[in-house]
Amino acid sequence: MQIQMNEFLFAMILTELEDAVGVANCSTRQIDKVTHSVDYYWLSRMWADRGCRMPEADIVVCPENAEEVSKVLKIANYYKLPVTTWGAGGGTQGGAIPVAGGIILDTKRMNKIYEVNTEGMYIECGTGAIYKHIEWAANEVGKATMHYPSSLTCSTVGGFLAHRGIGVVSTKYGKIDDMVLKMEVVLPNGDIIETCSAPKHAAGPDLNQIFIGSEGTLGIITKAQIRIFDQPEDRRFRGFLFQDMEGAFKASRELLQKFKPSVMRLYDEAETASLIKKIVGVERKGAFMNVAYEGVKEMVDVEEKILLETFAKYGAEDLGSEYGEKWWKEKITFFYPGHMMDIPQCFGTMDTIAPYGKIEEIYWAMKEAIETNFPQAKFIAHFSHWYEWGAMVYDRFIVDGKDVPQDPVEALRLHQAIWTCGVRTALAHGGVVNDHHGVGIKLGRLMKEQYGPAMQVFEGLKKTLDPNGIMNPFKLGL
Amino acid sequence: MIMSEKCKQHVDSCRFCWMCHHICPIGNATGQERNTARARALGISLVNREAIELEEIMDNIYECCTCGACVHDCTTGWDPVMFTKETRLQAALEGKLPEYINTLVANCLETGNAYGKTETCSTLADAIKAHSAKKDTLLFLGVDAKFMACEQANKAIKVLDKAGVDFTVLENEAPSGVQLDFLIGAANETKAQMEACAKALGEFKTVVVYDPNDAKAIKQLYKEYGIEVNANVVTYTSFVAGLLKDGKLEAKNSGKAVVFQDPYQLSRDLEETEEAREIVMSYAVLSEMLLNRAETVWAGNILMAQYMPEVIKLVAKRRIFNATSVGANAIVTACVAEYVSLKAVAEDVEIISLEDLILGE
Repeated sequence: MQIQMNEFLFAMILTELEDAVGVANCSTRQIDKVTHSVDYYWLSRMWADRGCRMPEADIVVCPENAEEVSKVLKIANYYKLPVTTWGAGGGTQGGAIPVAGGIILDTKRMNKIYEVNTEGMYIECGTGAIYKHIEWAANEVGKATMHYPSSLTCSTVGGFLAHRGIGVVSTKYGKIDDMVLKMEVVLPNGDIIETCSAPKHAAGPDLNQIFIGSEGTLGIITKAQIRIFDQPEDRRFRGFLFQDMEGAFKASRELLQKFKPSVMRLYDEAETASLIKKIVGVERKGAFMNVAYEGVKEMVDVEEKILLETFAKYGAEDLGSEYGEKWWKEKITFFYPGHMMDIPQCFGTMDTIAPYGKIEEIYWAMKEAIETNFPQAKFIAHFSHWYEWGAMVYDRFIVDGKDVPQDPVEALRLHQAIWTCGVRTALAHGGVVNDHHGVGIKLGRLMKEQYGPAMQVFEGLKKTLDPNGIMNPFKLGL
Repeated sequence: MIMSEKCKQHVDSCRFCWMCHHICPIGNATGQERNTARARALGISLVNREAIELEEIMDNIYECCTCGACVHDCTTGWDPVMFTKETRLQAALEGKLPEYINTLVANCLETGNAYGKTETCSTLADAIKAHSAKKDTLLFLGVDAKFMACEQANKAIKVLDKAGVDFTVLENEAPSGVQLDFLIGAANETKAQMEACAKALGEFKTVVVYDPNDAKAIKQLYKEYGIEVNANVVTYTSFVAGLLKDGKLEAKNSGKAVVFQDPYQLSRDLEETEEAREIVMSYAVLSEMLLNRAETVWAGNILMAQYMPEVIKLVAKRRIFNATSVGANAIVTACVAEYVSLKAVAEDVEIISLEDLILGE
């Protein structure tokens, strides 16, 4: 992929890029290259921790708008330079790492909030905006985005779109792909396109959904209209303790046929005894579940009655509102250093989505596969995004630092092997390769196993839109 | 690079943490990934692991304004300001400061201010002379006001005159040491400046500190350096709020709609947020920006504008955007450096100092 670069050609290309985005927004400084070489992906962190340098881009560019992105892509196509799009680097799958060198295109200068429209109920913004900033913009007019992942402050709008992100109130309000009305996208050849003015239509396949989740392999999303919502009149929490996971699944499935809570989080016994005990203070044996329901007060009253009746049928112990409120307050604390898993541990989150008939089976199969094949690994999980038809298991493995090889290549091998084992087990039992963290370079090899001959649809799109294969090479299995 | 174990622990915690990505006033203004606490920590951690050279990260180390927004935001108490300042100190000790920083440090040591100024404007010089007699109360102007915004310093004197305060302004005011603390951290030279200043302040019963940056140094940093000041040190804002309460200043509310720009040194470091608001509300109608009080966003300064002027303009413009987003067309400041920064880029919005508001100018 990488062209044979010489000093003269490099200088020529650099001047062209400087002309496209401005000298101040085009860098070959070591600090910029290093900074864009390590994202939230465990392997990149481990590599840096061992004092090794991750693959770096040759040039970092920060365009201000679609027109500048277009210029950069035209230059990159002409010289056949790889282009890796970088939002804020909060991804866990290595999707933003410039493994093939070339250009890093950092989107954060495209952070303008163009419009806060309370009639159409959307914010139009550049995709380089940090999501928390558009939440602030919504709050200023008394609204909310209702997209509250733990990475709300870490990630850009484009980053969430690129890998189909999700927030903690998703059960009621949806994933990021439910929150987009319209987008502006720069195609690999530099053409600037817009998707339809409404997200639901019969004008052929949905262009939004072709680019959402494409992880920068098919184009660069530069602008988006993101939905906003009224702030709920009332938001209530209720904690429950189930004696077993089976009862919790049955109760939750039944509940979701009746109404949609905003938060639903079921923790397995291992996570209840560790994270929940530490941060929320529940010191009980069993599976803790937190449910929030919100909206117009009269509706919330009714929903609370339905929730209590439904969960009582399945033997759930009502723990009241205290733990749920504590969880809401501390929901991001889980992810700070000191609370979150960190180096020297080796860890990963294999968020897996499946229908109700399969999800519990997947959980047990993955737990057994990982704990049997990797006795040094601990397996913990919670189920945090629920639908009428199924749920997502946020299943994590953790290997203590003492059991992680110091040699970076050996540590990489261990990490890869656990991931392959876990995700293959999920696929074998009817799961999907990932729910909301995306694919990146981490899971690209498993995409063909997921899709089989259906993969040719993605490959066909890739070949047509990006014939030179410059866009985020070696990601998404493309 | 030699670094304390405490700093190394903070560096290694922050290097892979993105949680304060949204809060850095410089990162938000430039859109540059390197202007984040985690990027700075990553760079330092790689220097500590001998994967890159200290010189490669020093420009970025000086792109931090040390406003502490990241520290304030961190639920678990990690402190990027601490390791940034310690890296500056180590670079100074190893002779690896960027040349433009060396110049500023040399100016501080030779003239007491990073700008290398030795004279203030004639109007201020006259006002200082008129207050040179020794009184119990000292008005400490600070180097920013004295050398870079003498009109504002003059107004600060006028406000106290208007209230009938009997006070001294020193012709040869000692620097507080806050600029050296910013540039090279806890070096011997910084401590020596602070000690000299503390000694001079100890000659007075009450010291009214005009610049919040100096107030932070004298009221907070001096303690960290183990330096005592034998005087009652108060911020200018709290002192003036007291004058208003005591009826020594006559307040007439103009009805003007304004927002207030909290200086982080007052709101975050000294936990003083309401005194300035009491003043503002006596003369105007106050509404709030979304990020106010301890959540304030730094709006620029004069020192960093010496070596990254375009970035400081972006920072100030972004804060003005915060104000206009809530419909404001006038911003009241309580920090001379933010006044200068905002004024330099303000187009459709009025920048007013507290002194302007009180004097009706």
